Amino acid sequence: MIREIIMPKLGETMEEGYLSKWLKKEGERIRKGEVILEVMSDKTNFEVESQYDGYLRKVLVEPSDQPIPVTTVIGYISDSPDEPVPDVLQTPRIEPEKAVTTEKIDSKVQDAKTAVRGDEKIRATPIARKIASEHGIDLASVVGTGPQGRIERKDVENFIARASGPSSKVQTAEPSETIPFSPLRKIIAERLTYSKQNIPHYYLSVKLMVEQISKIKEIKKAEGVDATYTDFLIFLTARLLVEFPLMNAAVEGDRIRLYKSVDVGVAVGIEEGLVVPVIRGAAEKNLEQISNERRDLAERARTGKLKKEEIENCRFVISNLGMYGVTNFQAIINAPGTAILAVGAIQEEPILDNGLLKAGKTMWVTLSLDHRVIDGAYGGKFLQRLKSVVENPGQIYL
Amino acid sequence: MREITYRQALNEALDEEMARDPDVFLMGEDIAIYGGAYGVTMDLLKKYGERRVIDTPISEAAIVGSGLGAALLGMRPVVEIMYVDFIGLAMDQLNNQVAKIRYMFGGKCTVPLTIRTEGGAGRTLGAHHSQSLEAWLMHIPGIKVVMPGTPADAKGLLKSAIREDNPIMFIEHKMLYNLKGPVPDGEYLIPIGKADVKKEGKDVTLISYSRMLQFSLEAAKVLEKDGISAEVVDMRTLLPLDMETVCASVRKTNRAVIVEEDTKTAGAGAEIGMRIIEEAFDHLDAPVLRIAGADVPMPKAPNLEKLAIPSVESIVKGVREVLA
Repeated sequence: MIREIIMPKLGETMEEGYLSKWLKKEGERIRKGEVILEVMSDKTNFEVESQYDGYLRKVLVEPSDQPIPVTTVIGYISDSPDEPVPDVLQTPRIEPEKAVTTEKIDSKVQDAKTAVRGDEKIRATPIARKIASEHGIDLASVVGTGPQGRIERKDVENFIARASGPSSKVQTAEPSETIPFSPLRKIIAERLTYSKQNIPHYYLSVKLMVEQISKIKEIKKAEGVDATYTDFLIFLTARLLVEFPLMNAAVEGDRIRLYKSVDVGVAVGIEEGLVVPVIRGAAEKNLEQISNERRDLAERARTGKLKKEEIENCRFVISNLGMYGVTNFQAIINAPGTAILAVGAIQEEPILDNGLLKAGKTMWVTLSLDHRVIDGAYGGKFLQRLKSVVENPGQIYL
Repeated sequence: MREITYRQALNEALDEEMARDPDVFLMGEDIAIYGGAYGVTMDLLKKYGERRVIDTPISEAAIVGSGLGAALLGMRPVVEIMYVDFIGLAMDQLNNQVAKIRYMFGGKCTVPLTIRTEGGAGRTLGAHHSQSLEAWLMHIPGIKVVMPGTPADAKGLLKSAIREDNPIMFIEHKMLYNLKGPVPDGEYLIPIGKADVKKEGKDVTLISYSRMLQFSLEAAKVLEKDGISAEVVDMRTLLPLDMETVCASVRKTNRAVIVEEDTKTAGAGAEIGMRIIEEAFDHLDAPVLRIAGADVPMPKAPNLEKLAIPSVESIVKGVREVLA
């Protein structure tokens, strides 16, 4: 068997090192633990020990002043003295082997074990990959204990056991049943887990006075437009999003994509889970159009008749749980979007207006924001504007 | 159950089938008066006479070719090639005639021919008398290749081979003839083309056949002491391969080690291993490993001969590697 000798990564920040010298010649017998080469990094010499018994089959890189990137293959160790070596000079690295190094500082010998894990392709056995994919586990987070760090079945199973905790094993004694995730449930689980794990969420809440909206709602109803509070919020936020482009945006790696069209997603609970159909170009649509479209999308969501293009490319989302009496909650951002507005129930409560106590209708809204893109002041300004237009909707037309 | 040797088991199979069916007869070098180079046909001349137990001239081509002729005319010949190493001399008869004729005549004839031979190292007989050539034979569509690893399988498989209407290469192992093992009394058959789990286990599957089955079972005992539970699958037939049994075991253990005496390069294990990758890839938790014969002519020196083929120690070492 041929094993690679690589430029070891001897510290978190080490990107490259210098090969000072080989302590073994090509063809020489090597014992596990014997020092085979010296590497210089940050002006310190490190002795690199062999992890294997065998022969120094081939030296690929000679000592020089040229820096060598970590994990570069610099030689080969073989089991027998005449095993053929790969003929390419630089085989693509798969998983860097572990190197045990001894650092020489002030003649003191210090052990520094490095477990290198580059960003190369992950080595895992087929059964490990299969189990990981069945459980939605990212193999990058699993530590492999097999040869050269290969992830094996037991590594994934241990990972699952740790993740699910001790409680999951105790349950077998209790009367219970298990229900497999439906395909939709799997997607929801995957997307929301991704979002909550990868987007640094934070939350801003504000209480809105909805007396004005409530009045216009009655007038519109008399005119034959039966709009809901959600419809009003879609109508108003769509117009505000034109002023706040970062909230009508998608995160793409380390870039932010800004959109011209204001497309507002509306979370709709259905029997099997949750879908988010999108009202496109909402800033150009009037209340009646928005209301009709929202009603149609929600109805078709419940009957499973939404088209693919009606639920994709969604950014800003409004989620309303007010109909269940929920007064406020914090929603999970729908990646790659940057914000979601969680809307609570209308409450009638005593309000102080210029020192006078009166009854008023209020509603809590909570904005979840992606802090990578939107800072508190920007979000705060948006809510301030939202409160202003909700409480004085007439200004939208002025 | 009574215990008899592999040799006795084979002799019983021939005896029973000759008694059962007058069309069964034997042909080969030194099989009649001498009783066979390894004594498998001992005493059958006395019992069945020289018309049914025939000593032939030293011509493998003639032995296989006349066996084919007899088979085409309705007999059930069992011919013997003294060493599998000599099959090369009969290769045109075997490869171009025996294996093809039923196919090329659209199934109008059958070829109920059994070619018994033996192979393998262990008696320091040198490069001409110690080879394992099963991979050559696996490459011939139209024949079946059977390699028993226990006395009971030897008897049951030989009886099935004689009753089979297609040509069979029946390869015994010279080091197994004296192996004693339990063999059922009376009539029984072992199906051709069916592998057998000789020992159940959960950590790794050892896949082998012929003498290497015995080595694998020994290795499994050693591993058991270390807490490693090896399942041992005996292929018994190499053509066709029973991948269903192999893959069922690999799906259970997730690890496969093939133990074969033939040379590693393009050996039987290459085919078995590739089929595992094709048919059970998603269940593998380690690369499939082959512990095989060295790619060398078999050395005559006893110490080198031992090193040229797998040993219990090398199997144990290989399994430990796969489980590392």
